[in-house]
Amino acid sequence: MKKILYILIPVIIICFLVITVSSSQTQLHKQENKVTVSKNQNSKISDKLTAYDVKGFTCKSCHVNEYPTKNDPGLSDCPREYMVSEYRSPKEGPDVVVINDMSDNYSGVVFSHKLHSQMSEMSGGCTGCHHYNTTGPVLNCRNCHDKNRSREDITVPDLKAAYHRQCMTCHKQWTLENGCNTQCHLQKGTNIEQVLESYKGKEHPKVNSPEKMLWETNSDKGKMVTFFHDEHNKLFRISCNTCHNQENCIKCHEKKPREDYSKPVKIQKSLEEHHSRCNNCHSGNSCTKCHSGQELSPFNHGKSTGWTLNSYHNKLECSKCHGNSVPIKKLDRNCNSCHKNFTKGKFDHKVTGIYLSEVHMELECKDCHTNGDFSKAPNCKSCHDDKSYPAQLPGTRGKK
Amino acid sequence: MKNLNRRDFFKTTAFGVALATLGAKSAKASDKMLSEDRIGVLVDTAVCVGCRHCEWACKVAHNIPTTDLDTYSDNTVFKEYRRPEQTALTVVNEFENEKNSLLPIQVKTQCMHCERPACVSACIVGALTKEEDGSIIWNDDKCIGCRYCMVACQFQIPTYDYDRSIDPHIRKCDFCHDRRKEGQLPACVNICPNEALLFGKRSEVLRVAKNRIKRKSDVYVNHIYGEQEVGGTSWIYIASKNFDKLKMPTLVKNPAPGISESIQHGIFAYFIPPVTLYALLRTIMWVSTRHKDKNSENLSDIHKDEKGEES
Amino acid sequence: MIASPVKQKYITPGVMILIILALNGLAFLAVRFISGLGAVTNLDNTTPWGLWIGVDVAAGVALAAGGFTSAALVHVMQREHYHAIVRPALLTAMLGYTFVAFAVCVDIGRFYFIWHPLIMWNGNSALFEVGICVMIYLTVLYIEFLPVVIERFMFRVNLPGLLKILNKPLDGILRILNRGLPKTMFVFIIFGVVLSTLHQSSLGTLMVIAGQKMHPLWQTPILPLLFLLSAIAVGFPMIIFESLIASRSFKMKPEMKILSSLGSMVAPILAIYLAFKVGDLFIRNAFQYVLVFDTAAWMFIAELALIIIAFLLFLSKKTVDSPLRLFVASTLVIAGVLLNRINNFIIAYNPFYNPKMYIPSFGEISVTIGCIALLVLIYRAVVIIFPVISQENVKARN
Repeated sequence: MKKILYILIPVIIICFLVITVSSSQTQLHKQENKVTVSKNQNSKISDKLTAYDVKGFTCKSCHVNEYPTKNDPGLSDCPREYMVSEYRSPKEGPDVVVINDMSDNYSGVVFSHKLHSQMSEMSGGCTGCHHYNTTGPVLNCRNCHDKNRSREDITVPDLKAAYHRQCMTCHKQWTLENGCNTQCHLQKGTNIEQVLESYKGKEHPKVNSPEKMLWETNSDKGKMVTFFHDEHNKLFRISCNTCHNQENCIKCHEKKPREDYSKPVKIQKSLEEHHSRCNNCHSGNSCTKCHSGQELSPFNHGKSTGWTLNSYHNKLECSKCHGNSVPIKKLDRNCNSCHKNFTKGKFDHKVTGIYLSEVHMELECKDCHTNGDFSKAPNCKSCHDDKSYPAQLPGTRGKK
Repeated sequence: MKNLNRRDFFKTTAFGVALATLGAKSAKASDKMLSEDRIGVLVDTAVCVGCRHCEWACKVAHNIPTTDLDTYSDNTVFKEYRRPEQTALTVVNEFENEKNSLLPIQVKTQCMHCERPACVSACIVGALTKEEDGSIIWNDDKCIGCRYCMVACQFQIPTYDYDRSIDPHIRKCDFCHDRRKEGQLPACVNICPNEALLFGKRSEVLRVAKNRIKRKSDVYVNHIYGEQEVGGTSWIYIASKNFDKLKMPTLVKNPAPGISESIQHGIFAYFIPPVTLYALLRTIMWVSTRHKDKNSENLSDIHKDEKGEES
Repeated sequence: MIASPVKQKYITPGVMILIILALNGLAFLAVRFISGLGAVTNLDNTTPWGLWIGVDVAAGVALAAGGFTSAALVHVMQREHYHAIVRPALLTAMLGYTFVAFAVCVDIGRFYFIWHPLIMWNGNSALFEVGICVMIYLTVLYIEFLPVVIERFMFRVNLPGLLKILNKPLDGILRILNRGLPKTMFVFIIFGVVLSTLHQSSLGTLMVIAGQKMHPLWQTPILPLLFLLSAIAVGFPMIIFESLIASRSFKMKPEMKILSSLGSMVAPILAIYLAFKVGDLFIRNAFQYVLVFDTAAWMFIAELALIIIAFLLFLSKKTVDSPLRLFVASTLVIAGVLLNRINNFIIAYNPFYNPKMYIPSFGEISVTIGCIALLVLIYRAVVIIFPVISQENVKARN
């Protein structure tokens, strides 16, 4: 009789095996369905996106339908900065903007446009805020952003969000520390003229920049890295936004007391970020250009360019030779690339230390300096069969 | 999942395949129809500024006592990680931003309104229901307070009034069901100054999320939290930091109630397994009774002896 | 071998201790019903289920499995040899399930809505299935117990005072039942076995939905099968355990003949259970979690060790024949299954946001112990009033 018990148990087991199989099978079916659905969605979206990923615009960049009409333009999602076609200077903007489209709890906001725009070049220029700029007048936020939050097209934020995002993305701390009506929104009934008056003539103070920076690294190419900030900025006239084009205002404005602004700002950067800054221009240089065992010496024209400045050139302003181009351009080493007007009588040969004899003074420059190359020794052979420079001089040596 | 191995193993049971289809069918029949236009919210943690106005609006909308809105600018609450509770159906937490310590990341937490909700599947009386529009709401008249929904929820969202003996509630975000019936937006979505909470059709919201990630691939982590977690959720998140670092549980793609429901429907596939078991037991009983009767005739002498001894 | 009421005094020193424990539990229960669950328990939003569900309900159902295993053995397979164990096992099951139902009432927040599942159905819910099955099974158990009541009180209904009027109708009901029940009893018995297999397994399904919140050592799709197998495995050891305790308590000779042959059936069932449990562990690649040796791993090892030791003990003929060894082995199985239920419902439940570990409060433990004490007290009262326990030499003694 025990056998029956042993039969019963396996039967029950089988029953439950069946159940588990059924469960796992259902599971499998459901999974497969799910995956294919989401795949379809994926492909649809990527098709749409590619339209404005490419810089060359076509009608299809904005209009998704075949025949756009005024009533049914069939516009795709807002392309934001991908569609900026008009670049303006921050100087064009107004000093102050009053935003008062939809104040409810509080009064409007007085936005110090000038103070912000003066520094905007360091963070991408006007497009940082005016992210959709086409030809014609500068668009207002309300031109695109709907006042209604419960709306059909949710790809573009509503007006309230658009305003807040402009400010709050950077001024995140304000929400928590001060509340809405201390930094931005005016209290109801505030005299707006008075506030506007207070902004008159306000400008962003001049930014202090360091003379040089010294890093200690772990690199085996050289522990010390010297960066001459002043040289890049003042000597080479590289504009701030060549390097500082994606800065965040709060990198400087993190410190609450204003006195602290004079102190240098430490910016945490990754190894790649550090390198990419320099590599934008110095990609061809070897590591030792920056890395060294000790602090590097400042810019030296002879060492860095291989063209030592003599006592006369040394006294000149850079712009005398390099012009006003920004950044500074590399020059041809031929003297007459600058000294184009060097002709007989116009050039005082004494400055080279050679006082020409009277006979030689009568000659054209290129008679001796063949091909107009002044860096090479003069050629005596064209007139004299048996003389050569510098064994025989065309005059006498004297003071430079 | 290791189920695969077992699945192969069990497949060998020919008997199983027949019943497996039954189980699958009945499980499928139980799925509620979800609307194509079901709603969703995208929480863009890169846009959220942590003003906590949503917390305030939620309390007001759900008649939970609260202090003035101005008191919500106190950021000391961020020192401790908070979870939704009976008196706060949604909470915002702050996390460090390694890229910029001055712009911390804030994450709002509330019911995710799963596409395949475990709580709804678990509820013994069906007090939690998945509406056609995707929201999951709790029915006061049905709930017996067993808290199985809390056990089942993968996001640990439902909360319970432990301090009430009579009429304790299960409380969780109800997607502002009442407000939406009047054509209003959910309270949190409505008040959000930055529209970090984007309300719309789930499909649409998902599309926007993908768009944003694609556009700002340097800002966002390429992961839409809630797109596939436990079979998808109505509330989805995008962030500039990995979600496990934002204290969001790392979850599988399988819906949480999938396995348990399949087991349930397997056991009860049109009541066939129980009825079969009943029939089987009846047969065994019948066979053994006959067997015993036969035996007892032969053994009657021995029995008599035993009885004699007893008396 | 006829069952008869035990002729013993009710009150003993042991009983007094049980009464104190029960009263202590009831006191905490009163607090729970006045001030809510939070006042007595350590439950919170991260740990919604604790000792009451894990031990009172889950372990309670498992340990009451003696009812359906013995019914299957004696009635379905017609092993008359074991007839003596049916009534005590039935009584244990009946009281056990009553206790489970009571515990559920205590644990659920809206105890006054306990009847809701009867009319509000959710077929997807494992808990719904457990609830419905337990409700029906409890009814079936009461029906199965009716013959005992009939045997004791038919023609003898004698209520005091005003209730005298009811004597006749009650007697009539008993007589009608006596005529109808024997012919239909087999339906209820088989139904009871079916219901038991269903809800014993569904009790395992309960925690499957917790998904990744369950520790991988326990979370498996075959959890229902493991629960059913362990319930079947603990059925006979529980009967043996009770029988040995009862015979010691009532100073009777243990029914070693029956208990030994029951004991010899335990090992194969345990073998099947262990095969599934360990096999599942390796198939799911979950063995690595044992090697971590954290709290969960040690609890798992303890649970498995108890069952393995018990299995090895039951294998030998020596164990089966000696009351003491049999008692020890049975206790090990019971402890193993009890620990398994605690592990599944408390230790394995390891949610993602878990600020503090759940440890049952003094109130929770008091209520659980109080309920068990109450259960034993009722059991003692019932076996004194009703003919439940059979005794070979009961007549010879008196």
